Amino acid sequence: MGVSSAVAIQELLEGRAPAKKPGGSALLSGLGARLTRASNLLSPSHRDPLPTSVPGLDRLLAGGLPRGGLVELASARSSGRFSVAIAALAATTSSGESAALVDLGGHLDPQAAVAAGVELTRLLWVRPHRVKEAVASAEMLLATGFSLVVVDLGLAPVRGRFVPDAAWLRLGRTARSRGAALLLSTPYRLAGHAADAVVAMESSSALWCGTGGAPRLLEGLSSRLTLQKYARARSGLSEAVMLSVWEVPHVVIPSAARHPGLLRHLPGKVRDPSSLRSSG
Amino acid sequence: MLEGNGNAARVVAASRKARKSGIEPGMTLPQARALVPKLIARGRDRACERAAQQALLEVAETFSPRVEDAGEGVVYLDLDGHPRLLPLSAGDGRPLFSLSKGGAHAALSPLTLPSPPAGARGDSEAPSRVARDALSLPPLPAGEGRGEGRLLPLPAGEGRGEGHSRLASLARDILHAAEKGSLPARVGVAASKLAARIAASLPDTPTVVSEGSESEFLAPLPLEKLAPEMEIAAALERWGLRTVGDLARLPEGEVASRLGESGRALHATARGIDPRPLEPYLPPPAFSEGMDLEWPLASLEPFLFVGHAALERLVRRLEAQALACARLEVALKLDPDGHDVRAISLPAPTRDVKTLLTLVRLELEARPPGAAVAGFSFAAHPDQPRRAQLSLFGPAALSPDRLATTIARLAALLGAERVGSPSTVDGHVPERFALTGYAPPPPPNARVPPPQGRGLLGVRVLRPPVPLEVIVDSPDLPAGGVGSLPPLPTGEIGSPPPLPAGEGRGEGRAIPPRPISLKSPPDSTPPISGAVRVAAGPWSLEEGWWSESPADRDYWDVELANGGLYRIYRDRGAGSWFADGVYD
Repeated sequence: MGVSSAVAIQELLEGRAPAKKPGGSALLSGLGARLTRASNLLSPSHRDPLPTSVPGLDRLLAGGLPRGGLVELASARSSGRFSVAIAALAATTSSGESAALVDLGGHLDPQAAVAAGVELTRLLWVRPHRVKEAVASAEMLLATGFSLVVVDLGLAPVRGRFVPDAAWLRLGRTARSRGAALLLSTPYRLAGHAADAVVAMESSSALWCGTGGAPRLLEGLSSRLTLQKYARARSGLSEAVMLSVWEVPHVVIPSAARHPGLLRHLPGKVRDPSSLRSSG
Repeated sequence: MLEGNGNAARVVAASRKARKSGIEPGMTLPQARALVPKLIARGRDRACERAAQQALLEVAETFSPRVEDAGEGVVYLDLDGHPRLLPLSAGDGRPLFSLSKGGAHAALSPLTLPSPPAGARGDSEAPSRVARDALSLPPLPAGEGRGEGRLLPLPAGEGRGEGHSRLASLARDILHAAEKGSLPARVGVAASKLAARIAASLPDTPTVVSEGSESEFLAPLPLEKLAPEMEIAAALERWGLRTVGDLARLPEGEVASRLGESGRALHATARGIDPRPLEPYLPPPAFSEGMDLEWPLASLEPFLFVGHAALERLVRRLEAQALACARLEVALKLDPDGHDVRAISLPAPTRDVKTLLTLVRLELEARPPGAAVAGFSFAAHPDQPRRAQLSLFGPAALSPDRLATTIARLAALLGAERVGSPSTVDGHVPERFALTGYAPPPPPNARVPPPQGRGLLGVRVLRPPVPLEVIVDSPDLPAGGVGSLPPLPTGEIGSPPPLPAGEGRGEGRAIPPRPISLKSPPDSTPPISGAVRVAAGPWSLEEGWWSESPADRDYWDVELANGGLYRIYRDRGAGSWFADGVYD
């Protein structure tokens, strides 16, 4: 293609008629209607994200886990990371899609998963021994066509953590080529620049019923999600997440935020104003 | 011969002597014993019947390559082109043979089918010659129900007498061959399957029905021989018809107008017309590939290189039959002598060569053969591959073939017990789980929006539980001003039922010790250590006290001062502490 043709195409894209008609302008004009900037082309990761049913995470990721993308969720223990992974599996399987969990520590409790809404018949549970096996398993599962593959690397320290960066790149590329969502749940950041999105999760505190000398009862966990990296959103955004021990229906009390004394005696879900907003 | 248990057992077959005493198939055992108190009852042995059927098929195959397995002890064989009948082929019609085993009747008689139109088979001068070999199971004692061969009068014609005697001689040879295999059999020879089958059911054996005399042969027989439907049989009985000939003499159109299509077909049968062709028995294909090597192989890679080609050929053959490999048997011929045979079961039928080769590699690496390999063979046990209907508007379904391959590879990589679909198990012990084969249901026809999240706090189950060294406070003096609850009723962990005020606080019961510090062994995973900031509990769990491994535990939820929310328990039997879950 000559320089004049390139200039003509540029002008077509900018909506301006070419100042000087080059040779073959009729053909270019015909093509111009169908020409699109490459940067405007939607990549698979920008279409139809996979909701996780965790409102805070869905808001951070603009609707859910991007299909064809690798999302790394990194946090220390007892911050709710595993609960978020289970919630994502529940959302995927309950909408009729197949999902796989690569569970390095074999931590899944099927009874709790059912309570969280996971359809076990649509869930493939893989329990590798080592990180390398987990990565190899995830690649096979992505290539098979699972809509969501969750790789949970368990609790720190991760045994055999020296996985080359190329492995994570390869995982991300496989997810992209298959249009599958890959959620990497790690105790600390491992995937490096291969991750399309990185979300850090920090535990604020455990919520207990009872104070002082009164008997205690675990109610739930309050945590915070912080977006550290994502091409489609500003990093640094954060969302609160409230996780409850009990399965209770969402209760919307408009004046809840103004009566913390009342909230203390209610189940955990209605104690967080952000949770109220998300449910309402 | 009985089928069933106890008094509900029904007679399925009986010897001639028993039948003469009034015992009929369908009677219960008490009914039969009422007629013959000294009745000898035997249970039906289906494996033995299958073996007898297979033996009869093998006998038939020694006389003809075209054999039909009609089941229930009946075998048909095609004698067209048999060397002993070749001189009769020209202009001799289409004799059919039927061999029957084990019944009370035996007969061999020639019948002929209506001749096909000239040139229809490209050889009007030598029409096909079909023999039918009928086996009636269960077998009866040898020697029973057999009589001398009875030859029906043949129509006059040149060479007919000689051809008839040759057919009868051949039928007798079939009988003798069956007897050598301990199969008391009966033989009927005819030009159609129906006539041959009926000829084999007659008392005398062998019976040869000559060509063109089917209706004459069938005419004196009772109508039950044609096995009409119950409604038609009742109608024919009302009409006063008793024999096949009575029905054959009726006008076909009138019978069809009154009895419908079934009646018309029965009328044609009564006239000896049976257009059903012989359906040759095809032995199950043996999918096996292998080779003898020019020199023995002692290392794995060269063997896999050679084996890859054999597996590819094997898979291509399976693919041609729309089958997949469900089990692979590897037979190795060792140098200088010896064999090593091993079987590889696959979680799901697959046709993926790479997967099969990986499985072979892992199997041989796990258990290397004791000597160099001088030859090998792969035998595949075929099965139907999994199929799925793809959805147009719903979520995409997984490709069954690809899924089976992936599961097989994962099972080879990790072990079959580490791949599958989790399932719940009744009980209360938190670490319980079961694993089943992964077979997801088809996706819905339309996309379903995910329901609202339940926001539940999950627990990472630690399998096995992490042993802990726990420092507890004094039972009488709660440490740190933290109150404690007496043990609550047994229930699900994490969801204790709320206690009404005053309930459960047993009078005079000792307050259980409260953990104030935890420490796991240095090499434990995950390491757990720290002072307890908050502890809630205990919740009692008792399960399986009648079993060898009972669970009798006091559970606590503890939050450590340095972070971490754990579920720990104290084994009341041993007094030791464990962490079996991390809230996460």
